[in-house]
Amino acid sequence: MDALLTKTKPAVAVGSLSDRNPDQPRKKISGSQALLRSLVAENVTTLFGYPGGAIMPVYDALYDFSDQLTHILVRHEQGAVHAAQGYARVSGQIGVALATSGPGATNLITGLADALIDSTPIVCITGQVFAHLLGTDAFQEIDVVNTTIPVTKWNVQVTEAKDIAPAVAKAFFIARSGRPGPVLIDITKNAQNEMIEEFEYKKCEYIRTYRPKPVLQASQVDAAAALIDSAKRPYLLAGQGVLLSGATKELIAFSEKTGIPVACTLLGLGGFPTDHPNYAGYLGMHGNYGSNINTNECDVLIGLGMRFDDRVTGNVSKYAKQAKIIHIDIDNAEINKIIKTHVAVLADAKEALNALIEKCKKNNHAAWLESFHRFAGIEYEKVVRHEFNPSGELMMAEVINHLSQFTNGESIIVTDVGQHQMVTSRYYQYKNPRTNVTSGGAGTMGFALPAAMGAKMAMPHKQVVAVIGDGGFQMTMQELGTIMQYKIPVKILILNNNFLGMVRQWQQLFHDKRYSFTEMDNPDFVRIAEAYGIQARKVERREDLQGALKEMLSATSSYFLEVVVGKEDNVFPMVPAGAGVGEVLLEAPTKK
Amino acid sequence: MKQDFTMEVASDNNFSVLNRIINILNRRRVRIKKLMAHENEDDFRRGGVIMLLHMTPDMAEKVKVQLEKLIEVEEVSYHEGSTSYLELSERIVDVD
Repeated sequence: MDALLTKTKPAVAVGSLSDRNPDQPRKKISGSQALLRSLVAENVTTLFGYPGGAIMPVYDALYDFSDQLTHILVRHEQGAVHAAQGYARVSGQIGVALATSGPGATNLITGLADALIDSTPIVCITGQVFAHLLGTDAFQEIDVVNTTIPVTKWNVQVTEAKDIAPAVAKAFFIARSGRPGPVLIDITKNAQNEMIEEFEYKKCEYIRTYRPKPVLQASQVDAAAALIDSAKRPYLLAGQGVLLSGATKELIAFSEKTGIPVACTLLGLGGFPTDHPNYAGYLGMHGNYGSNINTNECDVLIGLGMRFDDRVTGNVSKYAKQAKIIHIDIDNAEINKIIKTHVAVLADAKEALNALIEKCKKNNHAAWLESFHRFAGIEYEKVVRHEFNPSGELMMAEVINHLSQFTNGESIIVTDVGQHQMVTSRYYQYKNPRTNVTSGGAGTMGFALPAAMGAKMAMPHKQVVAVIGDGGFQMTMQELGTIMQYKIPVKILILNNNFLGMVRQWQQLFHDKRYSFTEMDNPDFVRIAEAYGIQARKVERREDLQGALKEMLSATSSYFLEVVVGKEDNVFPMVPAGAGVGEVLLEAPTKK
Repeated sequence: MKQDFTMEVASDNNFSVLNRIINILNRRRVRIKKLMAHENEDDFRRGGVIMLLHMTPDMAEKVKVQLEKLIEVEEVSYHEGSTSYLELSERIVDVD
């Protein structure tokens, strides 16, 4: 890893031919070389991938690009795509994954779907069989383009070497612009081998049929500002759009000028500091009590760079019916998709906020803000106090609370999916943008370990901690091999309850405690980590917890910490399925 | 209340563009009663689809904006009923 830290940025290939004598015939390069030069020209420095027959020419060319491109050999293609996602989420740069045809490509699909729903800019490059074999059921031939249409922002198949560089340019433009997303380029093997003349790489900045950035309409801003100025109990819900547009500073300024409380969605966490006095909490099915209850008490609700996901709204027929809705989003298809909007502002979050800061009057909603704090007090008494100071078995909440304190809320935290994810989202006190990496919309178990590798590769100087349950860890734990091989110093914190905890919680609450296939007999995780040469420790007693966490955080290499937590702990508050956000529960309902 | 809509999609004529369009309708379980896809007469790199769809007015609007999100799609418009489907499709058949 140290070698990675000191590596200088490669020279950009664009313009590298400018000194060429025009009378000299151009040098020939292969399609594979054209691909790698194009990636370098797009400022790619890191690739996550796995070779195979149909991508071998690219891997052969890669052998000569080791001074410009760092390739991380993962242990499964799903690891490559999640690593690319983690890389993109923390850096804002495009993550790149390479895979071969057929099963190599289909192993990317979960990550593509995850990146699409969570608006993550990645480019996946897959090898494909020779063009003359397309459609013949050739070895490892799968129609990858048509298979991945529903899980990509765009995809394309390239069958000639001359089309590779333009396809890369278009892919990077589409992945990063507007609402970001995943793009896949499928390149047939003949195109990878074909020799073409050297070329000047041209970045793509325009596509005739694609309008990624809407032009902010003054009339929409005026209408929104009028509603906001007249509101008595305005409330803003901040989503990942705030992070994607880099609008944290503007959001803070807007909230401070207008006095509007700000709550964050799961992916919006980090977009507004949790220690800000106007912070209203975390939203959603396992969000804070007040942030859910007050959704149905506000008079103007502003959705900013968020999409009213069903885990945020609960039952939409009981969602904010009393409020006027302002929806600010860059994606026109999100407006009125779930929640009927009174004023839509179709815009990039930062641009919209800057306009609103100028238009809106200075205001104060102290009593309204106080109601959130009052609810936080109730939540503390009913839920948090006990979770932070339990007796008996260790609880997930106390582990995360210590982690948050010891890192001052400033580490990059990568979570998997399930109870540990909700507990981390509730109790880790995120202070900075792009420090929360989790699988939100797709809810992909197995996401965290490879995503944490990618995050650490992008931000080698930041502490990166993957918080994972025992179930999700076993879905991609083969990536310990990647962590070992490249000495990626991520910290891995397993909260082990020997259960698929969230499903078990639902079984307990809504299926009469019929624990159908959720209990797990787990292996000795510490010995597995140690087999990969990773320092590892298991904690079962409260008196060992804080010391172990400190040891993990101070380790200079990767570190694996398993914490055995209560088997049947539940995550509360909870908005039960089908209930409205106003019906959020602080404890399990008593049986009639 | 579901009713017939004629939806016209103008797009680039790339491989898979028809699949992309149909995928949006399939996801939403929109019934396709008739469909005609075509290249533009003067430029084969562009084309379009004319569809007779059966759905609610709310769904028509949601499908329209989701179709417009597709990179290759330039514009989507729709009208109530099947009259314009017949007019538009006859025009394309006449051209051929």
